[in-house]
Amino acid sequence: MMQPATDQPDSEHAPRARWEIAVLLLVGLASGFAVGGLLGGLLGAPLGGWLLKSAEPGAGVISGVKNGFIILGALGGLAGLVWGARSRFNPQTRRKLRRFYAIKRGYVSFVLLIAAFAISLIGEVFVNNRALLVSYEGKLFCPVSPFSRAYTGKEFGLEKDRAGQDYTFEVNYRELADDFSKNKSGNWVLMPLVPFNEYENDFREGLVHPSKPNVEMQHYLGTDRTGRDVLARLFYGFRITMIFALVFMLMVYLIGVVIGCLMGYFGGWVDLAGQRAVEVWQNIPFLYMVIIVVAAVSDLPFTLPAWFKILVLLAIMVVFSWTSMTYYMRTAVYREKARDYVAAAELLGASTPRILFNHLLPNTISTMVTFMPFTVATAIISITALDYLNFGLPKPTPSWGELLQQGVANLHAPWIVLSAFGAMVLVLTLVTFIGEGVREAFDPKKFTTYE
Amino acid sequence: MKTLSKILFKRIGLFLAVTLLALTGCNEQKLKRPTDAGGGKKPAAPAGGMDKAFARELAREFAREFARELAKQNITLPAGGGGTTPVEPVTPTGAAVELNSAEEVMDFYEAHPKAFVVATPADLPTNLQWENGSELKEFGSPKAKRGGTFHEYMADFPRTLRLVGPDASGSFRSRMLDYNSLSLVMAHPNGDGYHPGLAKEWAYSADRKTVYFRLDSDARYSDGEPVRVTDYFFSLYFFRSEHIKGPWYNDFFSKEKFPNITVYDEHTLSITYYKAKPDVIERVAGVRPIPEHFYSELDEQFVEDFQFKFEPNTGPYEVRPENVEKGKAVTLTRVPNWWADKKKFYRYRFNPEAVKVTVIREPAKVFELFLKSELDWHGLGLPEYWYEKLPNDHKLVTAGYVHKVQFYNDVPRPTWALRLNSSHPVLSNRDVRVGLNYAMNFDVVIAKVFRGDPVRMNTVADGYGPRSHPTLKARPFSVKKAKEHFAKAGYTRTGADGILMNAGGKRLSFTFTTPYKRLEDVMTVLKEEAKKAGVELEVEIMERTAAWKKISEKNHEIMLGALNVSVEIAPRFWEPYHSDNAYEEPKEERYDAQGRLREGLKPKPVTNNFCMLADKDIDDLIEKYRVSEDLDELTGQAKRLMEMIHAHGSFIPGWVRPWYRAGHWRWIQWPEGYNVKESREPYEFHVHWIDSDIKAKTIQDMAAGRKSGAATIQVFDQYKTD
Repeated sequence: MMQPATDQPDSEHAPRARWEIAVLLLVGLASGFAVGGLLGGLLGAPLGGWLLKSAEPGAGVISGVKNGFIILGALGGLAGLVWGARSRFNPQTRRKLRRFYAIKRGYVSFVLLIAAFAISLIGEVFVNNRALLVSYEGKLFCPVSPFSRAYTGKEFGLEKDRAGQDYTFEVNYRELADDFSKNKSGNWVLMPLVPFNEYENDFREGLVHPSKPNVEMQHYLGTDRTGRDVLARLFYGFRITMIFALVFMLMVYLIGVVIGCLMGYFGGWVDLAGQRAVEVWQNIPFLYMVIIVVAAVSDLPFTLPAWFKILVLLAIMVVFSWTSMTYYMRTAVYREKARDYVAAAELLGASTPRILFNHLLPNTISTMVTFMPFTVATAIISITALDYLNFGLPKPTPSWGELLQQGVANLHAPWIVLSAFGAMVLVLTLVTFIGEGVREAFDPKKFTTYE
Repeated sequence: MKTLSKILFKRIGLFLAVTLLALTGCNEQKLKRPTDAGGGKKPAAPAGGMDKAFARELAREFAREFARELAKQNITLPAGGGGTTPVEPVTPTGAAVELNSAEEVMDFYEAHPKAFVVATPADLPTNLQWENGSELKEFGSPKAKRGGTFHEYMADFPRTLRLVGPDASGSFRSRMLDYNSLSLVMAHPNGDGYHPGLAKEWAYSADRKTVYFRLDSDARYSDGEPVRVTDYFFSLYFFRSEHIKGPWYNDFFSKEKFPNITVYDEHTLSITYYKAKPDVIERVAGVRPIPEHFYSELDEQFVEDFQFKFEPNTGPYEVRPENVEKGKAVTLTRVPNWWADKKKFYRYRFNPEAVKVTVIREPAKVFELFLKSELDWHGLGLPEYWYEKLPNDHKLVTAGYVHKVQFYNDVPRPTWALRLNSSHPVLSNRDVRVGLNYAMNFDVVIAKVFRGDPVRMNTVADGYGPRSHPTLKARPFSVKKAKEHFAKAGYTRTGADGILMNAGGKRLSFTFTTPYKRLEDVMTVLKEEAKKAGVELEVEIMERTAAWKKISEKNHEIMLGALNVSVEIAPRFWEPYHSDNAYEEPKEERYDAQGRLREGLKPKPVTNNFCMLADKDIDDLIEKYRVSEDLDELTGQAKRLMEMIHAHGSFIPGWVRPWYRAGHWRWIQWPEGYNVKESREPYEFHVHWIDSDIKAKTIQDMAAGRKSGAATIQVFDQYKTD
């Protein structure tokens, strides 16, 4: 993160610091994408089902959700960027952020986690069985690019693979590299650091799975029962878990904050009815609902792609988790709306949405921010637990819960359980440090500053 | 089928059998001596003099008192001690039979006068050729020693001790019934032929639908009552009763299938089956005698009344109420002076004095207790047990304390296979199906996931001896051939991800469903390998019940699973491969004039035709096969059917394990050659024994840290088929 400028005056019209612009852009992008994606997914389902006629049942709904999510998500992200570029923090928030920067443990954890997440987003460059670059007879190939297709062995002059099969399928780049170096033909292959992907079974001679961490075979954390690289699964598991947790958090806050705001602002019957509804909703056992819905989804007469099942899981978790946020939001709004500036805005004739989103929200949201890291931690734990219980991500999606489960069942191969457990402890510790830092920085009772 | 009970056991689930074995160490003092306080109703007064009966009853009462007193003081009587009534020989044969049952039962017999016939010895056909199986070889070992307690485990406490009705098909029933009780004749487990059970002689009628039996006059139930011919009448009353709440039995023993039982004298009866099947004797011997003196008549209270009462049986082990520790353990004890104790085929078997079966719910704990010698054996079928948890260099193995055994048996194999739903729009194309056959790399699954332990299954029915196909082989993994077949079906374009597409852009992608969580590794490896052939498989591992519901409603595309098979002489084709079990419409509406399957038919739920195989020629042949009464004809038809189903391509054979593996403590001793050919697990035929001297010495050795002998890892492949 950029260095916050401490010498900036906290005035309304002073130019914004660069770090402030960056944070605002990031926040704008993320929340814009979340709002847009949610709306797009919800709208896309019926629209796609109605508009797209396909030979396969359900395909319309599925592609509606997908396209709606992508299009409206992108639009929302853009809108968020614009918003981010145009808005500024109020002086209080700026001070809080600066205080967070001063809490080194939290700040360093934050930077580490964001960096790890950023690396995982372009993880194919680091952990992959597709080569970064292949030079074959003077031509350069870049199989790792997301726009690349699967090159067959025949395209690189191999007729049969090592098992003697016709090489009309994607070439094994490790074997290709081996072949090239043996033939000394001047062709070469540049492999990523970890030359395995998260699904591939490594059935080379001399490996009995699960096999120990082995630098020579490039399985740095060993393999699991079916010869998949533990590091690759851990790495992509991290990516999926983080995306899942972040999207989960954004969605939960979005719904919780909006409903809480409305309940607090309108009060009276709206509040009373809303609270009772929330109480009823809260008492529906979450785990049973997950089990029921997961069973129902797999019982549909048509095939759902894996990502759609992940989305369904996410939706169920969000739908049953937003309730607790409303309580905090509602009380914060109750407190704030009695203040003079709200009355002033009302007197000036500001519309209800304007009061809600321009005046009340910025002043109440800071309470919510302190909860965010802990929500992320909860989401990571929930998804891992659900995976462990077989109600989580569809197989064979890489996931920590699945690794933990395998590890516990194969204690004679301790590298599996240790890797998963270690990664989990590390990430949760980082998230907790961030959470503590944020809480401390945003504590309204704080008088001392950390400067 | 071999016996009725075997089928029933198979219904529970084959794999229970593999996993459920072994038990914990028990507290020897707690093991009570059997007393004669058998649960249940008072036995009906025998035909003999009243005084004798009264005296016997009195003696039993004393014995009961005595046993209770002993139990209170935790005293164990020496093995073989008295306290029981000696077996008395019944009156000589030839005496006429008189029906003397409860009113309701008599009414039942009278309502079916043709089914229950009391005849005289003179009514027996004179030209009967009586057989007694005396030419067959015994399969126990004369070296066997009696005595000791054998320790096994069960994963859960049996919910009932009833042998029929709700919850009765639990795994514990096989210990009370299938592996224990005697039927009229027993199939010899080392090949063809039958040896005596409750009957000492038998003969076939000319049309081979009826079998005549002469009961062994020594045959007794565990409560000392003799087995009477009228118990077979009662058996059909029992199994057809609605009070047992067992519709499967009601159907299996229906009056259509068992049209007649005739008794000729006190020890002679005949049972008629509706078809002259080659193995008709196994089907009629499946009628188990039901002790009428124990039940007398049934009412709607049957299920509750007999929930935890042990039905007196004809086998060597019984469950006495004092040996049932609810929720913890059940101990089976040997019937004192068991009637067949000294008879050929039985004298060297059923050696342990007691079998204690303890509840251990956690599989990891079961194995730990085995390593602590509290269980006498543990199955080592899974590679992780054989290679990792008890490797050959494990200290218990190298010190000779625990022996490892691999035994090749020869029984029909569970059908682990992929079944393609051929009513699916894409899978209805034969080229796609055959292409998928070539796209499934079971060889790598066997070599890498199962570490080369099992072998590839080749046909829909492996392991039926002469009825198996000698040459037919499953299609091997071949990218080239798979793609050739897919191309024929129009899948010629390759997408960016390497998955094939047809001209319309439809990807070659299928949902791949299984109810078995433990097969996850198999599924993911098959998925990765199938990508090479341009096929995408979406793995779907569902919860058991939900998955079977989906599959039996034919909503699946491709499923991986197995159907249970019984040990019988010829495979069944109608249930899994006949269009009767695929579509609701009557047969004539399923096919058009050219014999092609019509479109828009309604799939039939809750049947076993998971391939949705509907082919007119296969249907016709299965119908002929079902009514075939000649063994050679049957064999030819079975082979032809296997070829036709292979050609259809909707069944992709998976793997078979032609053996079982076990580890056992060295004091468990075995006959030469270890076990019998048709055993599915080591303890099924009770040929082992416990050598208490060796046990004592081993325990001393372990305490002293000495080796007891050389490491023993044995492979018995005398029954290996290839």
